[in-house]
Amino acid sequence: MSTSSAPLLDVRDLTLRFGNVTAFEDVSFDVHRGELFAVIGPNGAGKTSLFNALSRVYEPSAGSVRFDGADLLGLPVTRLAAAGLGRTFQNLALFDQLTALENVLIGRHHLMHAGALRGGVWLGYARREEHRHRAAAIEALEFAGVAEHAHTPVGMLPFGIRKRLEVARALAMEPKLMLLDEPVAGMSVAEREEIAALVCRLQSELGLTVLLVEHDMGMVMAIAQRVLVLDFGEMIALGTPAAVQSDERVIRAYLGQDLEAVGGGLTQPPVLASQDGERRSA
Amino acid sequence: MARISRQRPSRPKVAATVAVAIVAILLPFAMNAFQLTTAVFVVIAAIGALGLGVLTGYAGQISLGHAFFLAIGAYTAAVLGGNDHLSAAIWLPAAGLVAALCGALVGPAALRLRGLYLAIVTIGLVFIGQHVWFNVAAISGGPGGRSFPAVAFGSFDFSVGNQLTIGGLVIDHNGLYYYLALIILALAMLYVWNLSRSRPGRAMQAVREREIAASVMGVNLARTKVSAFAISSFLAGISGALYASFLSFVTPDQWSLLLSVQYVAAIIVGGIGTVWGPVLGSIVIFALPPVLQSLVPQTASGGVPIDDITSIVYGLLIIVFFVFEPGGVVGLARRLQRVWEGARARQEPMHKHDGEEPSQRQEQSMEERVPTWAK
Amino acid sequence: MSQFLQLLFQGFSLGCIYALVALGFTVIYRASKVINFAQGSLLLVGAYLVSVLATGLNLPFALAVVVAIALLAAGGVLFQTLVLRRVLGQPVFTLVMITIGLSIVIDSAVPAIFGPNARILGDPWGASAVHLGGVTLNWVRIWAIVCTVVILLGFFAFDRFSRYGLAMRATAVDEEAAMAVGVPVARVYAIAWAIAGGVAAVGGLFLAGFPSAPNPTLGDVALRAFPAIILGGLDSPLGAVVGGIAIGIVEVLTSGYAPGWLGTNFSDVAPYIVMILVLLIRPYGLFGARPVERV
Repeated sequence: MSTSSAPLLDVRDLTLRFGNVTAFEDVSFDVHRGELFAVIGPNGAGKTSLFNALSRVYEPSAGSVRFDGADLLGLPVTRLAAAGLGRTFQNLALFDQLTALENVLIGRHHLMHAGALRGGVWLGYARREEHRHRAAAIEALEFAGVAEHAHTPVGMLPFGIRKRLEVARALAMEPKLMLLDEPVAGMSVAEREEIAALVCRLQSELGLTVLLVEHDMGMVMAIAQRVLVLDFGEMIALGTPAAVQSDERVIRAYLGQDLEAVGGGLTQPPVLASQDGERRSA
Repeated sequence: MARISRQRPSRPKVAATVAVAIVAILLPFAMNAFQLTTAVFVVIAAIGALGLGVLTGYAGQISLGHAFFLAIGAYTAAVLGGNDHLSAAIWLPAAGLVAALCGALVGPAALRLRGLYLAIVTIGLVFIGQHVWFNVAAISGGPGGRSFPAVAFGSFDFSVGNQLTIGGLVIDHNGLYYYLALIILALAMLYVWNLSRSRPGRAMQAVREREIAASVMGVNLARTKVSAFAISSFLAGISGALYASFLSFVTPDQWSLLLSVQYVAAIIVGGIGTVWGPVLGSIVIFALPPVLQSLVPQTASGGVPIDDITSIVYGLLIIVFFVFEPGGVVGLARRLQRVWEGARARQEPMHKHDGEEPSQRQEQSMEERVPTWAK
Repeated sequence: MSQFLQLLFQGFSLGCIYALVALGFTVIYRASKVINFAQGSLLLVGAYLVSVLATGLNLPFALAVVVAIALLAAGGVLFQTLVLRRVLGQPVFTLVMITIGLSIVIDSAVPAIFGPNARILGDPWGASAVHLGGVTLNWVRIWAIVCTVVILLGFFAFDRFSRYGLAMRATAVDEEAAMAVGVPVARVYAIAWAIAGGVAAVGGLFLAGFPSAPNPTLGDVALRAFPAIILGGLDSPLGAVVGGIAIGIVEVLTSGYAPGWLGTNFSDVAPYIVMILVLLIRPYGLFGARPVERV
């Protein structure tokens, strides 16, 4: 039985390699219960690969991960949901032919039990189960503000709605830890604020622990408690937003030059063009 | 809240279903023997097509092996009913169960193989199956074929010449098979519909769309795919057994790749991923050859075999159909439905929901609604 | 021993024909993800075209072959542009069904027009052969091997070194991206179908050579080439060739050596059994690669 002060997620020396290419190496950090923890870094830093390793889309090459006291890497992929891990995907992994409600109900899959026999009979167990979980699914949709699209096939929904729907689906899984993979990528400024508010509410109203991968510095600095910065697959900073913002290595990674030349720390989303040229590409 | 949580089908759909059911029940009395025979084949095939609709339509597993499972069902019926003289109440479900077992054994192949690789392995099943049917005469009667038992419940059997009189209505051999198949089809459709609106059907569709995301959500890929194969094969087994029983004599070359292809055609023509699709598709695919044959006058063919002419027309119709309506019959129906709804919408103004303004409702849901299980 | 070599030679020759079938099929599949179920029917047409041109119109055989190749290639392009292009962008299933429809039409039209009996191919080789150390090397089979080698070399050169070969590979990987950089995707498809048609003409003519003859069941033989396609892996033309030859050898050796209890005509299913066994170990064929999936 874990105490509430023990970290919910404890990552030690996690490494992922694809043949000769190292996605990330020796990444160690922990995430406390109820915390909003962000992973940032320039393009190609290995952030999404880290998520994919945690949710076992890829198998890590080395290292260990303890989740709520148990060894996460020992679990088969299909047991991650039951263990309490929920995630959204950077490029969206919604089921386009299904409606929004049906998508969220897939999130409830591991909490439901009807199989081909009970489901086919419908009356009795399966029907009761469906009623219960549909209600829960609708609550998740309402929390994310997309309930009015419940019966629309996802393929017909606009991008912004789909992004929120992914969050609703992950939420419906009743996770202990939410992995949000670039939730505001590709959105307008107004949409970003709405999603940021939604993410905050996950933490503030529901008490969820959130692990966030993001590019948008402004959003991350505003809502995260602690930040991990990756660059080329290596950890280069770990700490509070303020500490990380003024960390020289971080600034160099994003801007490729010294603090003095820029005239201060990062207060806005960084421009990725660089003056020493060779390393940065947008 | 009530507006969103709608689980019952809409009234027009219920009405349409009831209407179709009534027509289906009354149909035999309006048809001649040839037409009724065709209808029997269509209904029996629809049972099998429904199965393939679950496997390929819902779970997205490409299979050209349906003929193999149809054959398994048929030969199970032959051995239990013909050799061992058991009643249809035994061999019919047994046909389904034996085929389902075989399907469950093939299912794991779908875990390792994808797309075309899986499709061609299923083609292999058909050929290996035919090899067995041609060579193991004890089961299949060898290349010359064998006879199959008529459906019999106790002392009453469905063989040619027998009939059932209810009130003033006489139901002959064709009619008996028709109603039996119709009842089984209705039960099968109900089962598949229930499947689609509950957890297992959703899981299958998720697997069809994005396997990896589905498994991250907790869907057990192995269980889903194996059960899809088992369900599909169960229905195929029943369909195959009824088909052989109705024909009363089948040669092994009938369980061919072409037969599998016809089933695939049926579910595509009807519309993938729906309950009615396979049924409508079966009407098109399996009624077409006999209808075409009856239309072509025997004398006008100029020496060319009728089969060839009807096949040519059949193939051309498939091509033309898919060029112009890629969504299948259900796609066509949806298109018509959208046209209908478009016409109606232009007549009525947009109504408000429960007297509130839409934007008001939105704000309320964002701030105040917290899922009850999260409190 | 000489029986073994005999069967090996026949298997190799048959395997070359299967390699041609597999090639025609893979070219279309790689370019457009369409499973061309009519490939076997195209072979049937090829055989009959050569026969009609050589015996009906009395053209010199070599000319008949060239004309047949050209006609079938043109036919493939015509089918692609007139029919398939209309359904560009539709799910693959739709396209597959259309090719199935085409195969049904062709397989019925041929016996409808020409009757159910076999024709004379009109080739100059007939049953003539070279005898070498107890092995009968039929000229037809020798030519089948030679032509296949030439065609395969030509195809590899095209694939690796020509602009359109590169365009085809690009379209196979990502159609939208190819379009975005200006690859004339529609033309790429047409070329794929032209190649498939031309290759089918050659395959069909050799399939209909001694001891067989142009007859309406030739299309079914092409189904036996499917394991070749899978064995080699869908993405690799080299794999298709290796697969084809392997299957041809397996089939003929099995027909020669299989024990009776395996049933008559076991050689028909042996390729499929071999294919299934290989796939159990390597799910993407001997040369295929696991498709990279981005999540």
